[in-house]
Amino acid sequence: MPDQPLQPFSPPTTLFTQLHLPSALSAGVLVTWALYAVFAFWAIYTLVAVYHWLKYSHASWIAFPAIAAHLFISVALMSYALSGQAFFLSPYLPV
Amino acid sequence: MREFELEPGEHVVKEARKHWFLFLGELLPFAILAILPFALPKLLILAPPMTPYAALFDYHTVLSRAVLGVWLLVWWTSAWGAFTRYFLNAWVLTNQRIATIKQRRFFVREVSSLLLTRVQDVTTNVSGIVPSLLGIGDIKVQSAGADVEFTMRGIPRPEQMRDLILKYVSAEPAQ
Repeated sequence: MPDQPLQPFSPPTTLFTQLHLPSALSAGVLVTWALYAVFAFWAIYTLVAVYHWLKYSHASWIAFPAIAAHLFISVALMSYALSGQAFFLSPYLPV
Repeated sequence: MREFELEPGEHVVKEARKHWFLFLGELLPFAILAILPFALPKLLILAPPMTPYAALFDYHTVLSRAVLGVWLLVWWTSAWGAFTRYFLNAWVLTNQRIATIKQRRFFVREVSSLLLTRVQDVTTNVSGIVPSLLGIGDIKVQSAGADVEFTMRGIPRPEQMRDLILKYVSAEPAQ
């Protein structure tokens, strides 16, 4: 057990300053590609869910508003993640 | 209906899904996880030894906004997926049979039918304070076959559904 007193916590100023990235890769590029990977997964999941809605919801009137609401809110959140602009969700999110 | 073809003279009497209150219960974990990034800094400030950690939740940097956006997107999409499964799970009563449609997960779908002529007994079960107040219960339908049993869990107004089933059971001539 170390006998030194605990040091007060100091939050890191930036996350990527201590990472040694190849010159071709900047932190911004990494974050952007990570976001694109998440959005690609989202797109596949959404396609599968929409397929189920359209095939099995018995042409219910709920299907289209449900799909539209999902697309609107998701696009707003994706825009927020990429640029900080969340359209109609902006008042509810920190900018 | 894509799941099963209605016979000539057959029509849908009622379509039921799990009670909305039970669905809200399923959504609760997603809601809690979604508000966690907003609530956590405020809670950390309340506990003095943890106060420095509250600074980690500063959403004014590009990276933290991206993480927050992805976090919210994940839980929103999960909640919407839960709604999709909720909506695609249904019990359908026609004037000739009861069908259960179970969407266990995407691409896993089970549809089974029980002819009303084979129904022998219909039991409803409402237990607990909240289910009694909101009218949430189970219905067990037993058929003439020894081990064939249909159970609808958590449906709204089970007594009304039971009466409807019995009405059409008595209207259907035994074969």
